[in-house]
Amino acid sequence: MAVIAKDSLIGRRIPKMDAPEKTAGKTRYVQDMKLPGQLVGMILRTDRVHARIKRIDTSRAQALPGVHAVLTAADIPQKPIGVNKDNPPLKGDKVRCIRDEIAAVAAESEEIAKAALKLIEVEYEDLPGLFDPTQAMQPGAPVIQEAKPNNIAMVFDYAHGDVGAGEAESDVVVEDEFYLHYVTHCCMGVSGVIADFEPTSGNLTIYSNTQVPFLHKREFSEVLGMDPGRIRIIQPPIGGGFGSKLDIYPFEPIAVYLAKATRRPVKLVFSREEEFIASPTRQPAIVKLRSGCKKDGTLTFRTVDILLDNGGYTSWGATIPFVMMQTFSSLYRVPHCLYHTKAVYTNNPYAGSFRGYGNLQATFAVEQQIDKMAEAIGMDNLAFRLKNAQAPGEVTGQGMVFKSCGFKECLTTAAERSGYVQKFSANAANRSKPSARKRGIGMASMLHVGGGAKIYPSDGCGTILKLDDFAHVTLITGASEIGQGSETVLSQLVCEELGLPMSAVTVVNNDTEITPWDVGVHASRTTFIAGNSAIGAARKAKEKILALASKVANLTPEQLDMRGGCIVRAEDGEVVMPLPKLLRSLHFSDKAELVMTTNYYEPPSVHQGKDFKGDVSATYAWATQVCEVEVDTDTGIVKLLKVTAAHDVGRVLNRLGLEGQIEGGIVMGQGYALSEDMVFKQGKLLNPAFRDYKLMTAPEVPEMDISFIESMDGEGPQGAKGVGEAPAICMAAAIANAIYNATGVRMTNLPFTPENVYRALKGAS
Amino acid sequence: MSLAVEIAFKLNGSPVRVSIPATMTALSMLRDQLNVTGTKYGCGEGECGACTILVDGLSVNSCLMFAVECDGRELTTVEGVAANPVNDRLRDALVEHGGVQCGFCTPGMVVQSKWLLDKHPHPDRHQVERGLEGNLCRCTGYKKIVDAVCGAGGSNE
Amino acid sequence: MVERYVAAKTVEEALEALSGGDATVVAGGTDVMPQSQAGRLKLGRTLVNIRRVAALSGLALTGDEINIGPLTTVADLNEHDLIRQHLPVLADAADKFASPQIRNMGTIGGNVCNASPAGDLLVPLLLLNAEVELRSSNGRRRMKLQDFFAGPGKSHKKPGELLTAILAPLPKAGFTARFEKFGTRPALDISTVSVGIAGVMAYGGLQEVRVAFGAVAPTPMRGPATEHALEGKKLDDAAIEAAAQAAMQEVKPISDVRATDWYRRELVHNLVRKVLQDVARG
Ligand SMILES: Cc1cc2nc3c(=O)[nH]c(=O)nc-3n(C[C@H](O)[C@H](O)[C@H](O)COP(=O)(O)OP(=O)(O)OC[C@H]3O[C@@H](n4cnc5c(N)ncnc54)[C@H](O)[C@@H]3O)c2cc1C
Ligand code: FES
Ligand code: FES
Repeated sequence: MAVIAKDSLIGRRIPKMDAPEKTAGKTRYVQDMKLPGQLVGMILRTDRVHARIKRIDTSRAQALPGVHAVLTAADIPQKPIGVNKDNPPLKGDKVRCIRDEIAAVAAESEEIAKAALKLIEVEYEDLPGLFDPTQAMQPGAPVIQEAKPNNIAMVFDYAHGDVGAGEAESDVVVEDEFYLHYVTHCCMGVSGVIADFEPTSGNLTIYSNTQVPFLHKREFSEVLGMDPGRIRIIQPPIGGGFGSKLDIYPFEPIAVYLAKATRRPVKLVFSREEEFIASPTRQPAIVKLRSGCKKDGTLTFRTVDILLDNGGYTSWGATIPFVMMQTFSSLYRVPHCLYHTKAVYTNNPYAGSFRGYGNLQATFAVEQQIDKMAEAIGMDNLAFRLKNAQAPGEVTGQGMVFKSCGFKECLTTAAERSGYVQKFSANAANRSKPSARKRGIGMASMLHVGGGAKIYPSDGCGTILKLDDFAHVTLITGASEIGQGSETVLSQLVCEELGLPMSAVTVVNNDTEITPWDVGVHASRTTFIAGNSAIGAARKAKEKILALASKVANLTPEQLDMRGGCIVRAEDGEVVMPLPKLLRSLHFSDKAELVMTTNYYEPPSVHQGKDFKGDVSATYAWATQVCEVEVDTDTGIVKLLKVTAAHDVGRVLNRLGLEGQIEGGIVMGQGYALSEDMVFKQGKLLNPAFRDYKLMTAPEVPEMDISFIESMDGEGPQGAKGVGEAPAICMAAAIANAIYNATGVRMTNLPFTPENVYRALKGAS
Repeated sequence: MSLAVEIAFKLNGSPVRVSIPATMTALSMLRDQLNVTGTKYGCGEGECGACTILVDGLSVNSCLMFAVECDGRELTTVEGVAANPVNDRLRDALVEHGGVQCGFCTPGMVVQSKWLLDKHPHPDRHQVERGLEGNLCRCTGYKKIVDAVCGAGGSNE
Repeated sequence: MVERYVAAKTVEEALEALSGGDATVVAGGTDVMPQSQAGRLKLGRTLVNIRRVAALSGLALTGDEINIGPLTTVADLNEHDLIRQHLPVLADAADKFASPQIRNMGTIGGNVCNASPAGDLLVPLLLLNAEVELRSSNGRRRMKLQDFFAGPGKSHKKPGELLTAILAPLPKAGFTARFEKFGTRPALDISTVSVGIAGVMAYGGLQEVRVAFGAVAPTPMRGPATEHALEGKKLDDAAIEAAAQAAMQEVKPISDVRATDWYRRELVHNLVRKVLQDVARG
C-alpha cells in the first residue's frame, strides 16, 4: 500500500490564487462591468467650502437629450449617513466642504453626463470658512453643523494611574507638539458602484467595492428605508482598499437613487481628480505629548492632548483616538497616562479609516519622544526601549492582555540585523563633518490589534464549507478579498486541516446572498478571525469524514488522518482510501449524505466600556522597523536607503503573501513620511493628481530586510496574528528619528518633503 | 459631439475597424468602445501606467494617445500579451514572485515589462526599476514585481 | 469643437491644414491630450496629426550642425549615437525625462512648442545654442531658441507655422555641459528647478560659458549674470560661490504647489554650486 508522509503547507510561499487571471487582464473590476441598459451616473460637487445654497436650477440639464434623471436634495429623502449621521447624500441647505454633492445626473454617456452637470445652475450665499481646528473651538466661531453648535464632533478621554504622581517622580520631562498631515489612499482602482433596482420586485443589487458588505447592507436599508432582505451586495474584485471603503459615502446612495429614478442600472465611477477630492483622507492630527522618565530609564507618565480636524462631516477618521490611545497607554509600560482628544468640525474635507487607523500618528509622537528621553538621560535608546517594552503575560493599564508578545525579540532582531547601535553613534559623530550628505539611522516600534477589534456587537465571521464528490472544496466565507490575499490564506488553512492541495479549493466571498455574516475587512482581522472560522468549519468536516472512515477502516478516528487527498493511518501514513471514494460512498449510500459544514467564530475579546478599558482584541501584533536614510543638506532630499523590519506575526502562514503585505506597507509608510501631501488652501485641494501628489515609484524603493518573529499565538489560526496594517505604522517615526540622527534636527511636522526638510535644516520658517 | 473618424488597425492580431470621435483617447476606445477592458484607467494623465499598451511594439500610455493615431498600427494590450505563450514566463514569474496583489496595476506592469524584456532580454535590477518608473502600484511596494521581471529575464537580481 | 482631422503625410499637407487657421498640431500628444482633457487647452477646429510626416523625423549631421527632426522622440534622443557622441547633455536630459512610455511617445518638437518653463530638453538646447526652423505656407525662417519663448506655454511661433527642425551646432573641442534636474525621482517629476552649465574647459575654468535655468522664470532662461561671473575664472571656492550667488539673484521664480520661490532660489544656488564643483573636479 502507498504511504503518504505528513506534510504541511504552513510557512510556504504560496502564490495568490487569483493572480494568473490578473496577469491576463481577465479580472473584471467594477470599473470594467457593463450591465445591459446601464446609464452613466455623475455628481455635481460644489466649488465653495462653506455656503448656503440659495437656489439650484436643473431645468436646462433635464432638457438635454440623453439625460434620464437629474436629482437634488429636494428629490430624495433627507437621511444623513456616516458615523455621526451628519452627512446627507445630497446637500440641500448648505455646503460644508469641497467634496459636497449637490446634484447628480444619469445619462446615456459620460459626455452627456458631463455636459448636463455644466448646465446646472447653483446660487450660493458664502459663509465664513473655518480651516483651522484650533480656531474652530474659539467662542463665536462659525458653526459648521447646526446640531453641534460648539463644533465639537467627538471626544475621547481616557486615563489610568495618576499623572501628577508620575510627573513628580520624573527626572526628565519632554514636551512636543506634532503635526500630522493629510494623505489619501490612492487605490489604483478609483471608487465606483453600480446600482440596479427593479421596481416591480423591489430588488436592489449593488455592485460595490465596500470592505464591509454586511454593515453596508444594513446602512443602505436604513438610508433608503428598504427591507434589508431586498438588498443584495455583490463585490467585484477591488482595485485596492486600505480602509477607504469602510464607510458608506454619498456616491453610493446617490447611485441607488439614480437607479430608482431611471429604472435602469446606473454606474457611477470617479475620475482620478474626483478620487483625490472626494474620497476619504487619512486623519490629520495635532498631538501634544508630555512624557517623563527616571534617570534609570523607567517611564513615569504620559499626558496626551490631541486635536483632530474633523472636516465638514464625520466618518471613521474621527474615531482614530480609539486606536491611538492603545499606543500611548500600552506600547510601553507607562504607569500613569492621561489622554484627551477632540475632533472638531471645520470646512476641510473629512477623513476616513486608513491602514493603521491613527496608529501612524500616535507612533510618530511616542517614538520620537522615546529617543529624546533616552538622549536626555544619556542612555542608549535601544536599551531604553527594552527596559520599558511589554512582555508576555503583561496586563496594561488599559486592560489589554498580552498573551503572546514578541516585542523584545522584534527590537533586538531589527537592531542586530541593521547594526543599529553602532551606526547610530557613528552617524551622530559624523554630523559635524562638512559633507553635504549625511547618513542617519532611526528606529520605531508599534503595537496594533492582531486579532480583530471588538467595536461592533459582534467581531465574528461565518464560514460554509462543502466538499463535492471529487473532494473539491468550496469555501464560502464572509470575509472579503481586497487584494491582500485572504482567499489564499483561508484556502491554505482549510487544506492544512483536510490534507488537500491548494488546487482543491474554490473560495466564494463576494455576494451577501450567499456568504455568511462577517463584520468586514479592517483592523487586520481577516486572517485571524476568518481564518479561525474556516479552520473550525474544516475541522467539523474532518470529524465527519474520519468518523465515517473509521467504520470503513476499522480504526478509531484518532488513528486516522487526512493527507494528500486520502484517508491514511495516522501513525505511518499508509493509505486507507482516497478521499473522493469515501465521499462518494457517503453520498451514494442509503444514508445519502454530503459533507457540508458551517461555523461562526467569535473571538474571545471584550467590549471596552466608557472608560475604554478591556482586552479589545484576541491578540496583538508587534513590530520594530529600523530606517537608514541619507539627507542631502543641499536640497533637503531624504533618501530612504534601507529598512530592517522585524514583525511578530504569531506564525508565518504564507510567507510570500506576508512579505508582500509588509513590503507594500513599508513603501506606503515611506510615502506618508517623505512625499505624499495633500496641499489645501482655504479648504481647496491644490494637487488632485499624481503629478503633484507623489506616490513612491519603483526606483525609490529601499532595500528591505524583513524578519518574522513567531510568537505562536495560542488563539491564532495555526498560531498566526493579523498584520495587514502593521508595516505602515512605524515608518514616519523611524524616518524622523533617522533624520535627527543624521542632522541633529528633530522633525515634528510631517511630511518630510525636500522643502520642509530644507527649511528645518536652515532653521527658516 | 466631436467629429467622428473611421480608422482601421490590428488589435492583438485581429483587424479592427471603428468609427471614433477625433478627440477620444486610445484608452477610452479600447475600454468603452471595444469593451476590451484589460487595460485600466488609473489617472488619465500619463502618471500611473495602468493604461500601458504596445503600439508597433513600443510601450505608450493609451490615455495620452489620440485614438485616431491608432490608424494603421498594431496594438497589443495585456490580453494580447497573455494570448502569446512566449510571455507565460513573465506572467508565471509575476505570480510566483508575488508581484500581484489587488491586480489593478498588473495589466500595465505586464505590458510594460514585456516591452522592457523585448528591449533588454536580461535586464539588471536598475534597468527594471527605471523601466517600471512610470507604473504606479499601491499594494506591493514594487520589490516583488521587480524581482519577477528580473527573474523572467533570467538575471538573479 | 474639432471639425476636421488631418493625418498629414508631408510637410505641405500639414501646412495646408494649418493655413486654414484655428488648428492644433499633435505630435506625441503627451501635452495636447492631458491639457485638452483637463480643459486647459482648447483644441482648434482642425486637428493636424503630424506623426506620419516622414520628413519631420530623423537625425542627421549636416556640415557642422546636427539637424534634429521635431518628431524625434525623447527615447531616440537618449539612445541615438549622434546625440550620445556629440550632444551628450541632451541625451542625459532625455534620460531624466518622464517615464519610458512618455519617452516613447513625446517628441522634442512637442517639448519645444509646448514652451513650458519646465521643459527638460530646453535647458540643454539653450546650452547648445540651438536654433529652430519654422515653416509656413509663406516660407521658412530660422531663429535662436533663446528668442523663441514668449511666456509660460507661449512662443513666437505663428499659428500657421510648423516647427520643422531643431539645429544644434557641433560643439567645439573641450566643450563640456551638465544638466541637473532637482527631484526625488530619477525622471518622473515635472522640474521644480533645473540648471544647466556649459563651456570650454581651459586653465582650470570655463570659457564661452553658457548657463541656463528651467522652471524659475516664465520661460526657460539663459543666465547672463552667472555666465559673466564664471567667464574665464578659475573654478575655486570663491568663484563658485560668486556664480551661485549671481544665479540665485538672476532667476525669477514663483511660488506654486511644487515649491516656494524662496526654496527655488536656494536650490538654484546649491545646484549651481554642486554642478560647478563637479566640473572643477573634472
Ligand atoms: C506624465 C507626464 C510626465 C511628463 N514629464 C515631463 C518631463 O519630465 N520633462 C518634460 O520636459 N516634459 C514632461 N512632460 C511633458 C511632455 O511629455 C513633453 O513636453 C513632450 O516633449 C511633448 O511632446 P509631444 O510630442 O507629446 O507633444 P504634443 O503634446 O504632441 O504637442 C505639444 C505642443 O507642441 C505643439 N507641437 C508639437 N509638435 C509641433 C511641431 N512640429 N510644430 C508645431 N507645433 C508642434 C502642439 O500643438 C502642442 O501645442 C510630461 C508629460 C506627462 C503627461
Ligand atoms: S491612466 Fe494612463 S497613465 Fe494613468
Ligand atoms: S497590485 Fe494593487 S496596485 Fe499594484
